[in-house]
Amino acid sequence: MAVAAVAAAWGQPAEAPGSLQVPRELVEAGFPVQLPPPPADLDPAAPAAVVALPDTEDDSGAGVKVFWFPPQQTPPGMKLGGYRLYRSTDGGLRWRALPQPEKYAADAACKIQVVGGHWPWKAYELRVAALYIPTGTPEKNWGLQDRRRPKRVEGEWVTAREVLSRVAGPYNTRPYAKWFDGKKTNLLVTAVLYCVAVLWFLRHARRGREMYLRPIPGIEAVDDAIGRATEMGKPILYVSGLDSIDSVSTIASMIVLGRVARRTAEYDTPLLVPCRDPLVMAAEREIVKEAHLAVGKPEAFDPETIFYVTDSQFGYVAAVDGMMMRERPAANFFMGYFYAESLILAETGAATGAIQIAGTDADTQIPFFVTACDYCLMGEELYAASAYLAREPILLAQLKAQDVGKVAIAAAIWLGTTAATLGVLGTLLMAAQKLTPATAWGGKLHWFSALMDKFLALFATQ
Amino acid sequence: MRRTLPLTITFLAGLVMFAQFFVPHKLSQDALTYMTDWMRIIGAFALVLGIGSLIQRHTGRIRQRHPDAAFSAVALLCFLGMVVLGIGWKTEEGSPFDWGFTYVFMPLDATMFSVLAFFMASAAYRTFRARTPEATLLLVASLALMFGRIPLQRALDPHLAGVAEWIMTWPATAAKRGILLGVALGSMAMSLRLLLGIERSHLGTGKE
Repeated sequence: MAVAAVAAAWGQPAEAPGSLQVPRELVEAGFPVQLPPPPADLDPAAPAAVVALPDTEDDSGAGVKVFWFPPQQTPPGMKLGGYRLYRSTDGGLRWRALPQPEKYAADAACKIQVVGGHWPWKAYELRVAALYIPTGTPEKNWGLQDRRRPKRVEGEWVTAREVLSRVAGPYNTRPYAKWFDGKKTNLLVTAVLYCVAVLWFLRHARRGREMYLRPIPGIEAVDDAIGRATEMGKPILYVSGLDSIDSVSTIASMIVLGRVARRTAEYDTPLLVPCRDPLVMAAEREIVKEAHLAVGKPEAFDPETIFYVTDSQFGYVAAVDGMMMRERPAANFFMGYFYAESLILAETGAATGAIQIAGTDADTQIPFFVTACDYCLMGEELYAASAYLAREPILLAQLKAQDVGKVAIAAAIWLGTTAATLGVLGTLLMAAQKLTPATAWGGKLHWFSALMDKFLALFATQ
Repeated sequence: MRRTLPLTITFLAGLVMFAQFFVPHKLSQDALTYMTDWMRIIGAFALVLGIGSLIQRHTGRIRQRHPDAAFSAVALLCFLGMVVLGIGWKTEEGSPFDWGFTYVFMPLDATMFSVLAFFMASAAYRTFRARTPEATLLLVASLALMFGRIPLQRALDPHLAGVAEWIMTWPATAAKRGILLGVALGSMAMSLRLLLGIERSHLGTGKE
C-alpha cells in the first residue's frame, strides 16, 4: 500500500525501473530495493516520495518515522538549509508544520526522521519542503518564520525559498509505545535461567553439602599480608578502585575491605583507605567502624584513616603514591576497578618493598597488576573473594552457579560455531553442485542452512 | 529496621531497574532518566562530605604539626585558591580559574600520565625473564609485539607488524573474552546476592 501511495504521488507505475536506493526498513516493509525514478514534471528542487511507515518496532512510541528522498538538484546561488515537514488532516486544505528535526538519520539516498508530538487518529497527508537559503549564509540563522519573508544578513536583504514535495498519503500511522521489547527476549530468558540456577544451588547449599573450590593464591595471601604488616608495625594501604559506588567491583572491594578491617582491628594494625569517591568514603567508614565494633574495639576506630583525596584520576594517584613513599605501608591492597593509573600505583608500591595483592575486573589492567604485584585476582575472582574469605555455604553456592553458567556459555559457543559452520557449508555445497532450492537435495540443503540461521538468530542481541 | 529498610529498598529498586531494561515504553525511559538524575544529585551532595573530609584531614595535620604538614598546607591553599577564583571571577575561558586549570592542573595531570611510560619500562625489565617455559613464551610474544608496533618495524622486518596484529587479534582477544565472560557472570551473581540481601557486609552491619 505504501509503494502504491508513493507511485501515485509520482504518477508513475510502481513497476517502472529506477535508480533510487531504498533503505532496509522500507524494503522490510515491502518496498522494492529500487524505487521508480521521480517523474519528469516534478520540480528537481523538491524532495520526493514522503513515506510514513506503520509502527511495528518495539520502541518507546516516541514518534512516527517519516522517510523522504532528497531533491535531485539545488537552485543556482542557493544551498539546502534543511527540511520542513507539514501535515494536513482535512484533505490538504490547511497544512501545519511538524516539530522540526535537529538531525536526520540519513544516507545518501534517503532521509529519516522520527516525528514526535501528537498524531491525529484520523487519516492525514504529509508534505516535505526543502528550505533553500542563499549560499554563504549560516544555516542556524534561518527559522520557520523566515521561509517567506526577506531577511537581512550581513547588510543585504536575502530571501529563503521553500520547495514543497507532492502530497503523500493518506496515512493512518500513529506511534504506539510497547510494554515489552521483543528483541530482548533471549536476554530475559538467559537471565531468568541463570537466576534459577543460582537459587537452586542456594537451596542445595542450605542442605549442608560440602563444595570444592579451587585454591586462589591471592585470597589465601590476604591473612599473610596482614600478619606481615602487623609484625613490621607498619600500616596497610587499601585502595578500593577508582569507580563510584554503583560499580559492582567497588562493592566487591568494600566487602573484602570489611574482612581486612576485621583482621586489622583484631591485631591493632593501622589501616589507610584513601578514597576517590565521597559516597565510597562514607560507606567504607561505616564498614570499618562496624568491623571494629564486631571485634569489641570501638575505641580503636579512627575515621580519619578513611578519607577523601580528590576525584581527579592522576591527582588521586599522585596522592596515593606520595602516601606510599612517606608512610611505607607493609601491605598494599588494590581491589576494584582501575584505569591507566594501575601500573603507577603497583610499581610505586613495589619500589617500597610492600607485599601487594591486587584484584580487578578491568581486563586492560590485569596484565599490569600481574607483572607488578605479588598476587592478582583476575576478573570474577574479585567477586568470589568475599565468598572465599567467609566460607559460608550460601556464598559458595553462588560460585557453583557461576560455573554452571560458564559451562552453558561454552556449550552455546560450541553449538553456535557448529551451526554457523554447517550453515555455510550447506550454502557452499549448493553453489558447488549448482543446486537450487527447487531440486530435492537443493531444497533440503536450503532448508538446513535456513534452520542454522534461525538457530543463530536466537542468540542475536540488539 | 536498620538492616531491613536498606535491603528492601535495594531489592525493590533492583527489580524496577531490571524490568526497566526490557520495557521500551516512555514511562520506563522517564523512570530511568529520573533515577539517573537523582544519582547525580546525590553525588553532588556527597561531594560536600568529601570536601569536609579533605579540609578536616589537612587542617588536623597542620594543627598537630605533622611532619608532612607542609603538603597539607599546599593542598588546602590550592583548594581554597581555586574556589575563590572560581566564585569571584567565574570559570569561563580566559578567567583566572581557567588559567589555573589549563596551565597548572592539566600539565601536572599529563606529567603523571607520562610517568606511566617509565613505569612500563621498569615493569617490563623486571618481569620479562625467561625463567620458565611460560615466561619465555611471554617474553617472545612481548618482544614480537613491541617490535611490531614501533615505527622502525618496517626497517627491521616487515612481517613483524603482521605477527603483532595476529597476537592481538587472536590469542589476546580470546583471553580477554574469556575474562569478560567470567566477569559478566560474576557480576550477575554478585548483583543477585546484593538484591536478595545475601551479601550485606557492604552495609556495614557487622555481620558476615
